[in-house]
Amino acid sequence: MATSQGGGSYLARPQPSGLAEVIDIILDKGLVIDIYVRVSLVGIELLTIDARIVIASVDTYLRFAEAVNRLDLEAKSDSKGLPEMVDDMTTGASKSKTKGALEGAKEKLTGDDDDDDHEDEDGKQKQKQPRGRSRSSASGSSRSRSRKDDDE
Amino acid sequence: MSDGGPALYVYGVVRAPDAPQLDSLGVGDHSARLSDVAHGGIAALVSEVDEGPLAAARDLRAHWRVLEEVAKRTTVVPVRFGTVMAGREELVQEFLAPEADRLDALLADLEGKVQLSVKAFYDEERLLGEVVSSSPAVAQLREKLKGMPEAAGYYERIRLGELVSGEVERCRERDTAAVLARLEPLAVAANNEDPGTADTAVNATFLVEEERLDEFSEAVGQLTEELGDRLRVRYVGPMPAYSFADADMAAGSGSWA
Repeated sequence: MATSQGGGSYLARPQPSGLAEVIDIILDKGLVIDIYVRVSLVGIELLTIDARIVIASVDTYLRFAEAVNRLDLEAKSDSKGLPEMVDDMTTGASKSKTKGALEGAKEKLTGDDDDDDHEDEDGKQKQKQPRGRSRSSASGSSRSRSRKDDDE
Repeated sequence: MSDGGPALYVYGVVRAPDAPQLDSLGVGDHSARLSDVAHGGIAALVSEVDEGPLAAARDLRAHWRVLEEVAKRTTVVPVRFGTVMAGREELVQEFLAPEADRLDALLADLEGKVQLSVKAFYDEERLLGEVVSSSPAVAQLREKLKGMPEAAGYYERIRLGELVSGEVERCRERDTAAVLARLEPLAVAANNEDPGTADTAVNATFLVEEERLDEFSEAVGQLTEELGDRLRVRYVGPMPAYSFADADMAAGSGSWA
């Protein structure tokens, strides 16, 4: 949207970033420590896959196709026939599906987003997964554990 | 902390004398306190983690918050989310000591600079309208699909979407090039990030000298005005230099002033 400015020079101020806006950067960027010396905690890989749910290309194409078809470029010619109604329905469905995928992932990752209140975090802690769930495969931790056990 | 102690989550690297004392909590489910492990002139900011899996939202948020806090106080090389070292000794022996020169160079490169993000988004309807009117192939297929039952037109619809997607990609390249041409000269380095969503026109990050922040912001402002009717610009920052914390930046030094 164009914001009307009072003329003269326009000094934009960068907005402080919320987590949601930098989530991709945080997941993708940053110094990588050699994979052979670091320990991975279970959950990180799953998390990053979760976080970057990529809509399969076919889904994207269909969404584009539907959006293009929805465009009201010329005056509506005929009344709504069955095909169009079907189309409307699937448009709605698949739109909410694709949007839902992305937004769902974002929500899941960022919670209520930028707000800094701690209520949110407390709430989240209560919802934590049951502990033992992926423990059996907690290979990352076995290293620190075994170090402790092997302590000479 | 004894030898063979708990594993350490690593947030980032700073110059040892500048290592900040932070009250914020780290990742993990206990109230993990932040501390640092120093070697030579360089310190890694860490907190203890136990073996449990990290919880997505809370830990990503903790990682982000810690780095935001640190960056307000000093130059930091952010480490990739989810990095854990087996213990203090490993952190020094396998990271801080062997990488000392590289980390020192990175810190020197990032000093006095901040990362800014410039994103621009299309108004989807408007963009697609442009695509239909500028591409005969798209317009044709669109006509053909009209009134076709959904099942019958399935592959045509995919084809149409593919064509549109290609056109959108071309717009994206053009708009990204235009934005980079304007802003890159004012930055120390620029990075073209993954577009992420279908309506993203531009997703670029810039490393900018703090002294030139106003100049850069003014250019973004002008750009926002010029693009205003076609693109919605989102200008965010300053943030830790996530996108410029990789080794190649220091080694390559091509685009570094």
